[in-house]
Amino acid sequence: MLDYILRRLLYMLITLFAVASILFLLFRMLPGEATMQVISPAMDEAVQKRMKAAFGLDLPLWQQYFVYLKNLVTLEWGRSFVSAQEVTDVIAYRFWNTLLLMASGLCMTLVLGIGCGIWMAWRRNGVFDVAGTVISLIFQAAPPFITGLLLLMVLSYRLGIFPTGGMYPPGQRPDSLFELLLMPAFWERIVLPTLTVGMYYISTPMLVMRDSMLEVLGSDYIELARAKGLPPSKIMFRHAARNALLGVVTLASIMVGFAVGGQVVVESLFSWPGMGQLMVESAAAHDYPVAQGTFLMLAILVIGLNFLTDVLYCYLDPRIKISAQGIT
Amino acid sequence: MKRRDFLKRTGILAGASAAGWMPQLAQAAGKPVESMTLLTANASFDPVRPEMGRLITQACKKIGWDVKLAAEDYNMGIGKVFNEKDFDMFIVRWTGRANRIDPETFTAMMHHRDGNYNKWGYNNAQVNELCDAQQVEMDPAKRRDLVLKVQETIFNDAASSPIVYPSMTNAYREDRLQGLVPQVGEGIGSLWSDLSASTKGGDGYIRTGQTSPLKNLNPVSVTDSNEFKELRMIYDRLLQVGPDGGLVPWAATSINAVDSTTVDITLREGMKFHDGVPVTIDDVKFTFDYYKKWKAPFFISSLEKFESVNITGKNSLRIKLTAPHAPLMINFFAQIFILPQHIWKDIPEKVNVDDVLKFANENPVGSGPFKFDYWDRGKELKVSANRDHFNAPKCAGIIRVTYGSHDAMAAAIEAGECDRTRYILKPALVQDLNKINGIVGKGYASHGWYGFMFNHLRGPLQDPVFRAAIDHVVPRDVVQSVVMSGFAEKGGSVIAPANEFWHNSSLKARPSSIKKAREVLEAGGYSWDGSGNLLYPA
Repeated sequence: MLDYILRRLLYMLITLFAVASILFLLFRMLPGEATMQVISPAMDEAVQKRMKAAFGLDLPLWQQYFVYLKNLVTLEWGRSFVSAQEVTDVIAYRFWNTLLLMASGLCMTLVLGIGCGIWMAWRRNGVFDVAGTVISLIFQAAPPFITGLLLLMVLSYRLGIFPTGGMYPPGQRPDSLFELLLMPAFWERIVLPTLTVGMYYISTPMLVMRDSMLEVLGSDYIELARAKGLPPSKIMFRHAARNALLGVVTLASIMVGFAVGGQVVVESLFSWPGMGQLMVESAAAHDYPVAQGTFLMLAILVIGLNFLTDVLYCYLDPRIKISAQGIT
Repeated sequence: MKRRDFLKRTGILAGASAAGWMPQLAQAAGKPVESMTLLTANASFDPVRPEMGRLITQACKKIGWDVKLAAEDYNMGIGKVFNEKDFDMFIVRWTGRANRIDPETFTAMMHHRDGNYNKWGYNNAQVNELCDAQQVEMDPAKRRDLVLKVQETIFNDAASSPIVYPSMTNAYREDRLQGLVPQVGEGIGSLWSDLSASTKGGDGYIRTGQTSPLKNLNPVSVTDSNEFKELRMIYDRLLQVGPDGGLVPWAATSINAVDSTTVDITLREGMKFHDGVPVTIDDVKFTFDYYKKWKAPFFISSLEKFESVNITGKNSLRIKLTAPHAPLMINFFAQIFILPQHIWKDIPEKVNVDDVLKFANENPVGSGPFKFDYWDRGKELKVSANRDHFNAPKCAGIIRVTYGSHDAMAAAIEAGECDRTRYILKPALVQDLNKINGIVGKGYASHGWYGFMFNHLRGPLQDPVFRAAIDHVVPRDVVQSVVMSGFAEKGGSVIAPANEFWHNSSLKARPSSIKKAREVLEAGGYSWDGSGNLLYPA
């Protein structure tokens, strides 16, 4: 087991090194000057040179690459070209904002999705099954900016039930995360983006859970459990749902990665200062340190979660064994 | 009428630029005018520009000239124009920044051969001469005469084509705010509104919306007007640009030009930084020296004209310039922020960075009318009134909130969550908001303009006759009434009428007329083939 974990960790590091190198090259291949957003290209050439020198952009590309690698290893991710703030500070703040939004959205998605998936499979071809499938597919087909905008128009602009956006009322910044979580105004503001995220993602765990359940429900051991006279709820949750959950666990780790980076639209719509917005802003502004940092952070998250999922598999499914060659 | 007679009559040959393009034009004689591309920012950056572009390209087809529209990402477009210089024509919005009230930007910087903005190869000896002369003329009345002349020459040469002068479209909650003071080019987002406005209830803070996030709080590295607008609340300047565009004494009670290269500054007494330390003339000298030492991007070209700075009294200092430079008053003295020497003398060393441009200045301490509370990057900036300031604000403070889009900001105003806009709000939204009780949506005078700009080194755009004809093609009426929803005036001179002192009122927009454009082209020797395609003069 330890051998396996160490080997997987080594693979993780190699993958991250490759991702970091690709990111470095990718952003420098973008058309346009790095300092364009920070300093008007109409200014003196001498001024532009001054700016490039300040941020090490006057060095040859290979030197910039080695400085970048050295900084990555020493956890010195540099400073934003735009705000001059430390990249780690900028990312940390935005990361927590996105995590709050995604945690509520994904919790809603997974709890409702898994619950509905179980019930839909149990009542296959019933009204709930058919209606659930159709509605969830409609939600998935509707882009978040449409559902979000509709929610805003109805629940915020027309009925005035929820505020239009932001994380807290203007001028009332809480001093800590704990204080933020205690603010009723924060919970009022998170409802609409959570619903938007939830509606978009719910079909995936719901339909995967439904399909896995249907497969499991056709198994011999379920027949045996029924023959033994076990109560339906016990068969449904303890025997069928637990085994059907494996597919959703894999899916959840991928969803987290997508959710963190893919919520630009939701964040823009609800003026939520999160990672998605930061990625777009920094890439558009050629703010290399922040852009590289945000994408690398996302890579770490996805690769790390995949690793955790693999390990978690062993506990969820006793049939899976780890040998020297890996999982069999 | 012969081509040369026509050029003389229209005044196009007045400048020396004509000489350069003649041989190149001769090479293309009788051939079809080549197809070109009009570059604009895409609709997600500015919904107005691609619309204008579409109208112009359609109009160009009516004179037998094929023009393609390329609506691209704003940064890519900027890169193509300013870095690569790879473009035929482009549409740009020259915003009405406070410092652009000085004619320097729209004349010398854009139209002088060596102007920093002039990436389009415009070179007219008469314009160069007039631009040079106005820069060193310290008498405003005499300088004005030169600026009026240079505008006329630029107009006759059709060097650039101002499409419209857009208003600064803003909205505010009339039921929440009172005492707003608009400024030319800035509307109600001005410093004068920050100082004079008050709320009719609540906590006294003015919640101010903007769609672009605040990037930086470092007064040395600042170059963007967004940051200038926020930093000027925290840091004092020596002068301010007033509501009408004139200069208003601020931290300096007087700035006198003793002669064309000597400037005396007298500092106001009794000022204090937000941490209680008095503002002294040493701080002002330190500021000049510090900005120069660190080559502050926005200010370095002005500071290079400083020969020496000497303290001459308790509250006074004298600046010797290497040469006269009239734009200095607005471009430098009304822009630079006074730094507290006791804080900045140890920066960047104390904050572990090797260059002041890498300093985030997360807790700015100035002497301005507002004290810094906090900045939540990507979300909001909060400042509170400095009651000890010589021009103390009437409100409790300003909360600058970043909204994800114009629509989100308009919705927040409608919902009562935002009190006013700081910067441009889409004209169509301003119209909609104005219909709601308690909200005012309005366009305020601005000296900015939407420009149709030409690459003077390419094809027919080298020819002033062709450019003048293209200026007639621009459908200004439709742009004004439809695209801008009426919040604009038709463009003529490169200095807008809102800039009353410097504007040449004798220059009117060329009438939008395809017929007139064809006449101009015909008189200039252009012709059309059987299919209606435009041909170079034979």
